[in-house]
Amino acid sequence: MYNTLIRNILRFVILLVVQLLVFDNLLFGNYIHPYIYVLFVLLLPFDTPKWRLLIDGFLIGIAVDIFNGTPGLNAAATVFMAFVRPFIINITARKSDIDGKNAPTVTEMGLQWFALYALLLILLHNLVLFWMEAFSIKLLGIVLIETLLSAPISLLLIIIIIYIFKPLKR
Amino acid sequence: MYNLFIFIRKYNAVILFILLEVLCFIMIVQSLPYHNRKMANVSNSISGGIHKTTSNWNDYLHLRSENEALVEHNALLLKRLGCEEAEADTAYYDDVFTYIPARVVNNSIYEMNNYIVIDKGSVDGIEPDMGVICGNGVVGKVLNVTQHFASVMSMLNSYSIISCRFIDNQYVANVVWDNGNYRYGLVKDIPSHLIIKVGDTLVTSGFSNSFPADVLVGTIEEKGEDDENMFSTAKLKFSTNFSTLRYVYVVKNNFKSEIDSLCITR
Repeated sequence: MYNTLIRNILRFVILLVVQLLVFDNLLFGNYIHPYIYVLFVLLLPFDTPKWRLLIDGFLIGIAVDIFNGTPGLNAAATVFMAFVRPFIINITARKSDIDGKNAPTVTEMGLQWFALYALLLILLHNLVLFWMEAFSIKLLGIVLIETLLSAPISLLLIIIIIYIFKPLKR
Repeated sequence: MYNLFIFIRKYNAVILFILLEVLCFIMIVQSLPYHNRKMANVSNSISGGIHKTTSNWNDYLHLRSENEALVEHNALLLKRLGCEEAEADTAYYDDVFTYIPARVVNNSIYEMNNYIVIDKGSVDGIEPDMGVICGNGVVGKVLNVTQHFASVMSMLNSYSIISCRFIDNQYVANVVWDNGNYRYGLVKDIPSHLIIKVGDTLVTSGFSNSFPADVLVGTIEEKGEDDENMFSTAKLKFSTNFSTLRYVYVVKNNFKSEIDSLCITR
């Protein structure tokens, strides 16, 4: 338990720093904005209560927001993502698959499942985020393009990050 | 209360989710200028739309009282105008006519004899034989009066006869209705030596005690044939549109009894 908390705090800080110092400064073009800090919400343990998910999602989102000067924007998206996470897990995994597993990680659940699970959540996160940023129904087309281009890139970067940090977690 | 706790326990995640999202939304709108302005626009357009709709409804609901106020005001102006004209004439004509505004509550135009019902009666000082006019011209004469209503014999009635005068040459004629179109009447008893032109205007003569002089009646539409009695007829287009009649003025001659008594003694 203690171990998990420390690991989560560490993950929170590392992902925040990486997001702010690296990925917010990378320019992939107008439509591609990778958000890898969502990995924090993706990797929270299965038995995390829903309210904890929401609070944790809000905290990482608002932390990114505070450094980016956009209070509430990322937080809204991560809170939404944390809210739908249990549903996505229900849809993509059988109960027997989850039993005895600690967290939805690549090592425990396999890369294929994780990629699907992560892609769905990242798509939803990006959709909310870009839409809140555009703040208009008229710009829905651009929002969708941004989402569809950004989410796969984010997923790719997240999987790369997971494999970079994998030895640490063992 | 207990149920409320159960509800909150059961849906704590949903409630927390909504609270957090609302918090995020408030932060976004408050801190980001673009979102702030956009939100202000949205709320303005919503509240503006609601205000406009309610005001439209209100206007509609108050339409009648507004109209009545306008009619009242018109009556006042008409009276003042009458006084001014009379002042130039003689002192006798001071305050000869009073105009009582009324609303048309029933109207027919397609019968042989058409009648109008107005919402003013004996309580308001309406008496039989008073003239009725509207903003565009003559309407008819009061026929019967009850306490709160009065029936008016409109010009579209075979018994209606109005004394008229050509505005150009002051010749007098009578206007009747020949059971035809509600837009047109018939000018009778025109002296046959009179050369009438299409477009000549007829106004009330002022001889009848019911109408003040110079109220518009209509214009000549078509020259008729001469009859054998040295009088000719003409088709007249009423200036009043009887099909859209809503508000009228009943003309009260304040000296009618005096004039009538003179006529009797003579």
